[in-house]
Amino acid sequence: MLGFLLVVLLIPYLIAAYGLLFVKLRWGLRLFGAFIVATIGLLTVMFLVEAYPIIARDGVAVFLQTGWDPVRESYGVLQALTGTVLTSAVAMALAMPMALGVAVTINEILPARWRGVFGSLVDLTATMPTVIYGLWGLFVLGPTLQSLVNTLARDTMTSPYTLFTAGVLLAIMITPYAAAVIREGYALVPKPVEEAIYAVGATRFEAALIKLRYVRNYILGGFFLALGRAMGETVAVAMVVGGNFVRFTTNIFESGITISSLIALQFPNAASYQYMVPALFAGALLLTLFGLAINAVAIYIIQRGQI
Amino acid sequence: MTAERKAENITAVRMVINWLGLGLFALLGVAAVVPLFLIIGDVYVKGIDAINRLGGLWHFLTGLPPTPYEESGGIGPMLVGTLYMTVLGALLGIAVGFPLGVYIGEMRREKFANVARAGVNVLVEFPTIVIGLFVYAVMSLAKEDLNLYLLDPLSRTISPVGGWITQFIGPLDGFNAYAGAAALSIIMIPYVALITASAYASIEQPLREAAYATGGREFNALFVVLRKAVSRAVLTAALLGTAKIAGETAPLLFTAFGNFYYAPFTGPTAAVPLWVWYAAQTPYEVQIASAYGAAAVLLTIILTIFIIARIRG
Repeated sequence: MLGFLLVVLLIPYLIAAYGLLFVKLRWGLRLFGAFIVATIGLLTVMFLVEAYPIIARDGVAVFLQTGWDPVRESYGVLQALTGTVLTSAVAMALAMPMALGVAVTINEILPARWRGVFGSLVDLTATMPTVIYGLWGLFVLGPTLQSLVNTLARDTMTSPYTLFTAGVLLAIMITPYAAAVIREGYALVPKPVEEAIYAVGATRFEAALIKLRYVRNYILGGFFLALGRAMGETVAVAMVVGGNFVRFTTNIFESGITISSLIALQFPNAASYQYMVPALFAGALLLTLFGLAINAVAIYIIQRGQI
Repeated sequence: MTAERKAENITAVRMVINWLGLGLFALLGVAAVVPLFLIIGDVYVKGIDAINRLGGLWHFLTGLPPTPYEESGGIGPMLVGTLYMTVLGALLGIAVGFPLGVYIGEMRREKFANVARAGVNVLVEFPTIVIGLFVYAVMSLAKEDLNLYLLDPLSRTISPVGGWITQFIGPLDGFNAYAGAAALSIIMIPYVALITASAYASIEQPLREAAYATGGREFNALFVVLRKAVSRAVLTAALLGTAKIAGETAPLLFTAFGNFYYAPFTGPTAAVPLWVWYAAQTPYEVQIASAYGAAAVLLTIILTIFIIARIRG
């Protein structure tokens, strides 16, 4: 196994560095490119191998059945999959308007010297450790949301830690990622187009709407990139989602689980069961495939629509 | 109503819609950054109070974490582990990320460079817990052979140097600081690569030709002469990437695993984010307080790096 790893990881790096320094730069650099592609390939293969026992036993059913019962060695990740979809849906519904707001605020509303400051604040939102978001969600956001929702509609939210809480927290965390892509596109609107918009007598709000329509590919690309983040986010979600990995629920005001938080919460005691580690790796495989698919779509959209 | 009046009315309506619309956008934009202030305020108010209650700043930065029955404690082992793994991860991330960025930025007409760029774009968005699991899987496969053929003989050879060396080099446990650093570096590589790539791509053609003309070998042209043109952007990339990985929790869960004591880096290693994650979910008030203190320390580290990056960049 060691030999295999050396061949796959370490030796290519050394050859690449050597080639880069002493032989032919171009080939050294190419090997670095190969290194990153190999890492992604190795990652997918590794998860397939690790998840093989449970897929061999249950087939695709592991992704389609609910119920997580380690004592009976019966695992299904459907409730986690549903939780991932629900939290991401809540997060995207809240995050996209905020991301559009950020892009317009920076480019249209703020005076030039405040733009950098506001942009830095948005970037800082993306750099903040996720565990600090989790801490805040655990002790501030969760209880606040519970009392807020319960004043609007009595007794809908029985616990502060629900899929809805996770969705709101995710929305705050992923807004800067969507906003970054939209801002990038917004800044690329050609000057003649902008002048034409104002020449026909558009107000600033109308101009903003027209420009947003002009960069719709970037908005769609930002949507998918942020969606990828929302589906993969682990620690903050695991802290506020409620950790209910047993019961299947589609009510966002109940506690639930997502795939990534299932892995984070169940992995520490997985080694005591025969099939739990493969089941969790099956979840990771699912996350990987989602990640690859969503990113492929996002990259395709952005590249196709490059202004 | 004359046509003129009608036009005036429409203009007035449009003005109102204009202000309402812009106001809505501004409101949404501000809503995106308000939580940031709430979080920073919450962490510092509760965190500073917690640090004072748990025995002052120095004790908090060096002491062992509190058990549920203690009144005071700190995050010493966590701080050491975080610093060690972050520095290692950042160095490794730059060592791979920088040349990779040069490749996808400078040779972007090659077909394979586009494949590599797609790979980097995928990796930067990858769920971090997946990367942690990947390193865990690799580690659990490689550990035995690695210890048997490489680290056991190595630690015997270097043992005359002194006992302190066993803190750093020796047979590895399943969970160790090096696995943590490896996971962090995989997260850092695409950050550095993408920013380096866009910096190299934005170099003007005449400058590039001048560099090739004076640099002689292609290596000198790319890495010595043109490096000066992009050093600022690359430095910013390195700092922001470091700030990002210093706060990562998910990739460390199954690689560094966490620890409550000062321990050799070859075994389970503590980290500040891991302690925040663990302590915040305990029912004990003293440990929750220490989680807030740890969060304040972590936030201070990250804000410092972030501000340095912004001022320099």
